[in-house]
Amino acid sequence: MRNTLIFAATLSLCVAAAPALAAPGTVLRNDKIYSQPSSSSAVAGSVPKGASVNILSKQGGWLRVTAGKTTGWMRLLSVRAGEGGLGGAGVGDVVGAATTRSDPSRVVAVAGLRGLNEEELKGAKFNAAELAQLDMWVVTVAQAKTFAGQASLVAVKVPALPEPKPAKASSSWESN
Amino acid sequence: MKFKLMFLALSLVSFSGVASGFDLDRFLQGKQDKEKTTQPAPAQAPSTTTTQEGVATPPPAKQKIDAQQLGFALFGDYSLEEENRIGRQISGNLLGAVPLVRDDALQRYVNLVGNWVALQSGRADITWRFGVLDTDDINAFAAPGGYIFVTRGLYRLLDNEAELAGVLGHEIAHVARKHHLKVLKQSSLISALGQVAGSKAQNSDQLVQNLIGNGAEIMARGLDKNAEYEADRYGMVFAARAGYEPWGLPEVLQDMAALPAKDERTSLLYKTHPHPADRISELGKSVDGRLDAVHGKDLASRFYRIQ
Repeated sequence: MRNTLIFAATLSLCVAAAPALAAPGTVLRNDKIYSQPSSSSAVAGSVPKGASVNILSKQGGWLRVTAGKTTGWMRLLSVRAGEGGLGGAGVGDVVGAATTRSDPSRVVAVAGLRGLNEEELKGAKFNAAELAQLDMWVVTVAQAKTFAGQASLVAVKVPALPEPKPAKASSSWESN
Repeated sequence: MKFKLMFLALSLVSFSGVASGFDLDRFLQGKQDKEKTTQPAPAQAPSTTTTQEGVATPPPAKQKIDAQQLGFALFGDYSLEEENRIGRQISGNLLGAVPLVRDDALQRYVNLVGNWVALQSGRADITWRFGVLDTDDINAFAAPGGYIFVTRGLYRLLDNEAELAGVLGHEIAHVARKHHLKVLKQSSLISALGQVAGSKAQNSDQLVQNLIGNGAEIMARGLDKNAEYEADRYGMVFAARAGYEPWGLPEVLQDMAALPAKDERTSLLYKTHPHPADRISELGKSVDGRLDAVHGKDLASRFYRIQ
């Protein structure tokens, strides 16, 4: 167990630099593992919500994962990277505390890097000079279009995404 | 005084559930017109590269607008000018807490990417401003009127231009969908009533400040989680419409999900946003296979890396 934690902690250190590569992950919804990064390829297996996977690599909207004895491709949005399991903050906090204890060196890695806090924001005074500086960097629409053109970026039509329907979320994978 | 009482009465009416807004707005319009200081319409495509907007819009400190004008406008839609004034006040306060990174090439790059993505948002009426904040904190902020900030801590997590586009797309969506204005509008009734009772507001700056609370605390309060989920959906779509691969934002969310839970750099982020795992999960429900046919660029080679 202790070894696992240290291993996991080391992994998450790597993850910070080169995320989602050879990292632990948790399946967020029942989904399939495909043999190729395409939903039209052969299905190699299925994994239930909550299952643990090992993330090997990524390609576009796909992650190459190992789940048990099956290795294949899952949708990027069906898996979360990291230690926190399924949930949001609650589960993550518990695991975070555990790994912090098991690997003090990791604490050093992030110590000294402070975040913003509510008090700082509350007490902030209007800074006109910084705002003027911000205005100095404004670019024109024409400049942005030229910049896009330099990398052959072309605007494409992509329809807006629908709001998820919570009640039917679990059945969507079955119809695939 | 009579006027104020009438205002108070009308406010109470709209409090009690009568569809608020346009009637009151129209009713009041006549009284405001003579006092209204008309601002030049913001340029859709500024023809100069630098401080055009700064010249067009006088610093807030010099604006004298009837105290009630803004309060009344709260019941209808904010005008573009009001939207910008609110955003400018919030942004000036935020910059008072954390300054901009002094790297012209970086800031210019972020503005170029940001403007290109913002062009896909349908808000061509806005002059967009993007800034990288000099802090290790991992976060990004948007304020009404097109003010977008990314922290250096978040920027360092990014690997390519598509990821930057996705992050900026999320913030652009907050502005395009007027998420903050909706929140302000909900709290504005209380604020406006308070002002009528106190009769203290002297100018529009004071009004805006009263509206947004202390300093930049509005940035620490955050939005409804559904607004965050919506911004994630639109953020992906805006980046994809701009020709980037759509997976930039989810990849950044994965990076954040992989950080230790106790990392201090994410404490404010997690106070104001759903956990990245939940955001990935929500996005997954909406996206499913819908973006399978979208193949954009990630432009890792052009990505501006900071030290």
